[in-house]
Amino acid sequence: MNGYMGRLLRVDLTERRMWDEPLNEEWARKYVGGSGLAARILYEMVDGDTDPLGPENPLVLMTGPLVGTPMPSAGRLSVCALSPLTSIWGESNTGGFVGPELRFAGYDGVVITGQADHPVWLSIVEGRAELHDAADLWGLDAYETQERVRAALNEPKARVLCIGPAGEHGVRFAAVMNDHGRAAGRTGMGAVMGAKNLKAIALRGTAKVPVADPDGLKAVVREINANVDEDMAAMALRLAGTAGYVDMALMYGDLPIRYYQQGEWEPASNLSGVLLADRYLTQSTACYRCPIACGRETRAPSYGLEKADGPEYETLGALGSLLMIDDLEAVIYAGHLCNLYGLDTISTGCTIGLACEMFERGVLTSADTDGIEIRYGDAAVIHRLIEMIARREGFGDLLAEGSAALAERFGVPELAVVVNRLEVPMHDPRAFVGMAVTYALSPRGACHMQGDMYGVDTGQGPPVELGIIPGDRFDDSEEKGRIAARQQAWRNLYNGMILCQFQNPGVERVLRALNAVTGWGLEPEDLLRLGKRIVTLKRRLNLRRGLTRENDRLPDLLMRPLAEGGTEGTVPDVDRLLAGAYAEFGWDPETGEPVD
Amino acid sequence: MAIKFPSDEWIKELSRLLNESEAYERSAKDWEGDFIFIVEPDEAYPETAYLFLGLYHGKSPDAAMVASPDEREAEFVISAPFSTWRQVIEGKLDPIQGMMTRKLKLKGNMMKIMRYPKAAKEIVSCCAKIPTDFGD
Repeated sequence: MNGYMGRLLRVDLTERRMWDEPLNEEWARKYVGGSGLAARILYEMVDGDTDPLGPENPLVLMTGPLVGTPMPSAGRLSVCALSPLTSIWGESNTGGFVGPELRFAGYDGVVITGQADHPVWLSIVEGRAELHDAADLWGLDAYETQERVRAALNEPKARVLCIGPAGEHGVRFAAVMNDHGRAAGRTGMGAVMGAKNLKAIALRGTAKVPVADPDGLKAVVREINANVDEDMAAMALRLAGTAGYVDMALMYGDLPIRYYQQGEWEPASNLSGVLLADRYLTQSTACYRCPIACGRETRAPSYGLEKADGPEYETLGALGSLLMIDDLEAVIYAGHLCNLYGLDTISTGCTIGLACEMFERGVLTSADTDGIEIRYGDAAVIHRLIEMIARREGFGDLLAEGSAALAERFGVPELAVVVNRLEVPMHDPRAFVGMAVTYALSPRGACHMQGDMYGVDTGQGPPVELGIIPGDRFDDSEEKGRIAARQQAWRNLYNGMILCQFQNPGVERVLRALNAVTGWGLEPEDLLRLGKRIVTLKRRLNLRRGLTRENDRLPDLLMRPLAEGGTEGTVPDVDRLLAGAYAEFGWDPETGEPVD
Repeated sequence: MAIKFPSDEWIKELSRLLNESEAYERSAKDWEGDFIFIVEPDEAYPETAYLFLGLYHGKSPDAAMVASPDEREAEFVISAPFSTWRQVIEGKLDPIQGMMTRKLKLKGNMMKIMRYPKAAKEIVSCCAKIPTDFGD
């Protein structure tokens, strides 16, 4: 079975039992891998009543056929389960080296069920799995945990996934951390891991991924690596990381300010990725076999911090402009705290942003917040709240439930900027209206990685051969809705193969690489079909979890025009865009349900 | 009366409008770096043209159509066929989208350009204000 190791590791933590299971080849052909294949596995294992924090919710780590091959920028891993934050399909995707290392250790994926009766960690080395006592690791931060696990295993080159204190305390947006500060950040996969009493997973191996046509792969890899030097988006990422988008985002009105309610704020320009590179960058870092190297290592001397991972664009927004913080060092430090504790920076920043807004409106008072005045622009308070969230300390216990729960608790659900209870990332759908479809139909709630229409309409590698044509960012026609749906399918295929979304060498090269690895002989028209099938499967799962057509909407605050700035007063016509998207996916326009 | 593009008169008009624009001055207040825009021939325009635009601290001190790119020193060079420039000037092609899709080819310090997208937007806004004769 070319492109696959051919087996999954099954782990039952309740019974402390582990066994190998052959990979279902038919499912691999239909759902490819990554979050697609994980969704197919989960579909068999959960129903409408499964508790996301219960032992029966499987935590699935899954690679895809390109992972661990010579394909550039394919060093990723999907971490999937029902989400404790949203209660629907949860997926997150992390870079670094853990994806390839899982394959080198002999497996395509790991399916973990049950709950250990005390903290444990799991090692998978050269095809052999073992559980270890984690009593001495419980309570440690994510960085120290990784070091201690490597030392305990006596494998300095082992790659480690772990949770920090946030995952241990069941923070509903806790991340799974790996390779220092890399994160499977979104949808609370760290809380699922914590609920299972699983502190860490260590990976090490030397197996090779079988490839159908090594020479064919080598040829296309050579072309892709050469293409990176011609790709302006890749070059920008190499120079300034994702943070390099900040200035552009401000021009377009894409970077949310003051909890999505302000169109312009000149100091936000101080969060520029160019300034970050000039003043605080210590080095760029790359994931496995990635020629782009968008990762940043920085320092924040004002906080006595000599080494931090990031911040990424999303972190600069969520812990910066959204909260009216324009001090780069303060944001670097806030992001570092999230990495230490194992928190998703987007949901963390957004939930604190909501608290700022509620405090300003008098919905929250210091009587609710342990005497803390939660004001926009107060970096010290924001740092303090991050620690309180991670430990569920005082008011932090409420924040740890996420934005939707916080707003509901105080009777203002309309203030939470969430889609299906997941906090909206740092791309405003009023700036690129195609993002309205991306968010409304994203299988995991508001997610910019499920169809980056801001990337399409700024020309960042759109696959025009598939009818995904860059155009007017304010065009909210049905055709734009169709384009957004195609992009959602394309990115879901990416999340299946798994290929980093910053690697955009063109459809023909992606197709050749996938065929060279798997030997499937796919045609170009097969690619969107695969992607749509994956999106539709995740939708079926969510319908089973209780979502309806009514959930396909944007939050109220994003449906209000902004008086100033790059959005130019635009509000997307969501219904018209969705009509196009439903048609593209072949879903019933009235019910939003897949038709077949 | 419409001004022919490309021409010395056109680039000087752009320079004049930039010097009148408060929005441009604000967005480019720290900018230092001159441009040469190369208009490449295509089916709509048979020649190559070089437009020099001096830019310094939110103002445009100098502009001229030049016979060759060697005639004036510029830190940045952007080249594109005539019809692509027309799309940009008419507001039909976002210049960032144009650069990302390589319809507009940039030579120069990309990091420096990335810091000033608002200035680029204001330049395009000024272009759109020029009544332009594209030789139709």
